[in-house]
Amino acid sequence: MNPTEIPLKSPSSVTNLSIGDVEQVERALIDASTRVPVLMFYASAVVWLLLGTLLAGFTSFKLHSPDLLSNVSFLTWGRIRPAHLNVMLYGWGSMVGMGTAIWLMARLCRTTLRHPLLLVTGGAFWNLGVLLGICGILMGDSTGYHWLEFPSYAAVTLFIAYSIIGSWAVLMFRFRRGDPIYITQWYLLAAFLWFPWMYLAAQTMLFIVPVQGVLQAAVNWWYANNLLFLWFGSLGLGTAYYMIPKVIGRPVYSYHLAAIGFWTYAFFASWTGMQRLVDGPFPAWMITASIAAMILCIIPVATVGLNHHMTMRGYFPLMRYSPTLRFTVFGAMSYTAFSVLGVVISLRSFARYLQFSEVSVAYSHLGLYAFFSMIMFGAMYYIVPRLVGREWRFASLIKIHFWASVYGIGLMTLMLLAGGMVQGMNMDNPTLPFTESTQSVLPYLRGRSLSGILMTVAHFVFAYHFLLMLLGLGRTASVPTFLNPVNPEPREMVAH
Amino acid sequence: MKGFTPLVLGILATLAFSWLGLAYIPDLQIGHLDPQSDEEGTDIYPMPKSGMAERGRRIYVANGCFYCHSEQVRADYAASDIDRPRDAAPSPPSKWGDRRSAPRDYIFDRPALLGKMRMGPDLANIGKAAPAEEEAAPAQPSPANPANPVPPGASPPVANASPPPANAAAQQNAKPAAQPSTPPAPAASPSAANAPPPPANAQQNAKPAAQPSTPTEPAASPPATNASPTPTNATAQQNAKPPAQPSTSPAPAASPAQAATAPSPAASPSEFPAPYSAAWHHQHLYAPRSLNLDSDMPAYKFFYEKRRVGGEQSADAINLRGEGAPGEGWEIVPTYDAKCLVAYLMSLNQSHPLNEVKSAAPPAASPAAAKPVAK
Repeated sequence: MNPTEIPLKSPSSVTNLSIGDVEQVERALIDASTRVPVLMFYASAVVWLLLGTLLAGFTSFKLHSPDLLSNVSFLTWGRIRPAHLNVMLYGWGSMVGMGTAIWLMARLCRTTLRHPLLLVTGGAFWNLGVLLGICGILMGDSTGYHWLEFPSYAAVTLFIAYSIIGSWAVLMFRFRRGDPIYITQWYLLAAFLWFPWMYLAAQTMLFIVPVQGVLQAAVNWWYANNLLFLWFGSLGLGTAYYMIPKVIGRPVYSYHLAAIGFWTYAFFASWTGMQRLVDGPFPAWMITASIAAMILCIIPVATVGLNHHMTMRGYFPLMRYSPTLRFTVFGAMSYTAFSVLGVVISLRSFARYLQFSEVSVAYSHLGLYAFFSMIMFGAMYYIVPRLVGREWRFASLIKIHFWASVYGIGLMTLMLLAGGMVQGMNMDNPTLPFTESTQSVLPYLRGRSLSGILMTVAHFVFAYHFLLMLLGLGRTASVPTFLNPVNPEPREMVAH
Repeated sequence: MKGFTPLVLGILATLAFSWLGLAYIPDLQIGHLDPQSDEEGTDIYPMPKSGMAERGRRIYVANGCFYCHSEQVRADYAASDIDRPRDAAPSPPSKWGDRRSAPRDYIFDRPALLGKMRMGPDLANIGKAAPAEEEAAPAQPSPANPANPVPPGASPPVANASPPPANAAAQQNAKPAAQPSTPPAPAASPSAANAPPPPANAQQNAKPAAQPSTPTEPAASPPATNASPTPTNATAQQNAKPPAQPSTSPAPAASPAQAATAPSPAASPSEFPAPYSAAWHHQHLYAPRSLNLDSDMPAYKFFYEKRRVGGEQSADAINLRGEGAPGEGWEIVPTYDAKCLVAYLMSLNQSHPLNEVKSAAPPAASPAAAKPVAK
């Protein structure tokens, strides 16, 4: 329980210092030092999120209405889809993840961010890279590798940008104060070290010294899966490990469990990827190894889930009030669902039917949206007020955002799972015409478009709210914005 | 967690281990395969694709075709890919593949477009599904004349020169009459225009059944294949629609009949090019639902040019009827990109046997379907 979390509006005016006040001032100074870069990362991420959402809706509608705007080359489905995907991965996901990670690193290392403008430069380059990449894809310059569609000029720009941002984040460790490295820091440090490693390895093996034939697909999925698990997954889990204990004001249940969870995650999750190529033209051992790793991933999932659950035990009612907690816990629970689904669809007996169906789309969205993005929304609800010195203006908007997102992703997952199963069963039945399988999934795809509308509403509401905060139009209260009025005996009221 | 260094080393080591296991070791195992050949060093497979086909691959990638079409056939024990007939060519049955795909099939592919989703059918063997005499042509790499503006499957430009009157006349006849029994309009499959029209027509009428297995026959065979299976299509559909029993035995003989999807019942069958011929691909790319009402593929009209007919109609113009037809005095012709894309599609063929893969050619398959492979 830490009552000193309320940010100071003007740290310099504080004169009378007790020990708690010293910490408070220190935090305020750290927050102030991260203000410009983190807000810049967040603002870019939100812009990309809106763009990606529009592209997503477009992709979804065109899939069941193929004649919609199909006569323009750069609006054809096969270009809009990778554009959507890459905007979400590199524009929204990576930007919001890195912004959050920078803030968390500064806080946890207890050091002010030096030369924040360098990070802003890195962020600007990253935006430029994404923009170049999207234009390249729409112009027909896609490379043809999943999640790596950006043409080389965009990839180089991204990598330059990353080396500035990443080395900055890792260097923050050099200036850290206090020796015990918190769990969140393991995950964040790992993410910042893993990303360049896998990006460089994939770029080298696919473009600079290309490997032969099917190995390109192997490297491609090795990268894509690691991006999902080791980059987005680590950023998401690390953030959850910070937000949940912080909001409820209670230490993590078990450090040992967390350590087990971290190292098994690093070890097993990195070996997945080939399960996406089940029974493809590969030596069977590669695929089997990945399926085994996928199954073994139950260990980190269970330990992380157990740890979060035990930390939260008795504090679940707080989700009624704290937006951060609500989003974060939803994300953490989705992580479990995502991992279980991942195990199921990688098993050979299921992959026979589901491998080439819409189920894999459901899986990706469960991971990138229900798990990662929801945790990041939660983090933004926590961090942004501390950067702008204002509280979120409308609890109602936060509620709309939450419920529209939850119903949206829920409906999308259900539709794609059900539709994918029907599609997969029909596809594996050679006595039916092939078009039967695509026709049978179309009603579900229309349902998915409906879910997309919900999510679009959620994102625009959120973006509007965020814009209000940026413009300094938030509330100037000293109490955080709660989702619901707090009871007369507000035991946990301070806990936001 | 004690200390910074062990943490960083551990983080780097885990990913290095995974890279070693999933990228480096596989590269040692299957990363340096050579094409296969027989004892005399002939019959080499696979071969690099022609310049046009390689350019076509870029177009295939740029427009994201691989998001909906895979290019891999899974083994018979893993899935029923091998048993699956193609919708547009149920008789003679054209399957997704005779055998599973193997790493060696892809050694010249860059990128190797294995695919992740099947909102459209698998294309690993789409080139093999082409009518017999078109099939062989694009498989040969033609580095000698990379500037050849016409995909090997399409008719040579000579067609424009000699038989224009016959061509036009045939079209005139076919249009208003719309009799299903008329011999196929030569314009429907451009290669027919090569031959002197009257004897070709006569030959078509005389030919009783499909003979796709005689690739030596010069020009008459595509219309012949066209003429005979399409009526079967229609009847097969009539038969198959009402019962629609998915639980019937998956005997290969039964499946093609049920899978028959005749394009559009209203249209005269002779209007359609032979399934999976170059002309068929062009029409499919330009207007997918003119060939299969159930298709979910977007149209790629931006690959095609609508222009006024100068003199006589171009040989490679799309012979579209009814709704979407270009109108009197206009024609729709493929751009060079479209020709490359079709050349790429026609080059996709994994039917050559590989020593490391058992060919699971079903014994029940009709001899007409099995490609005569010299091996």
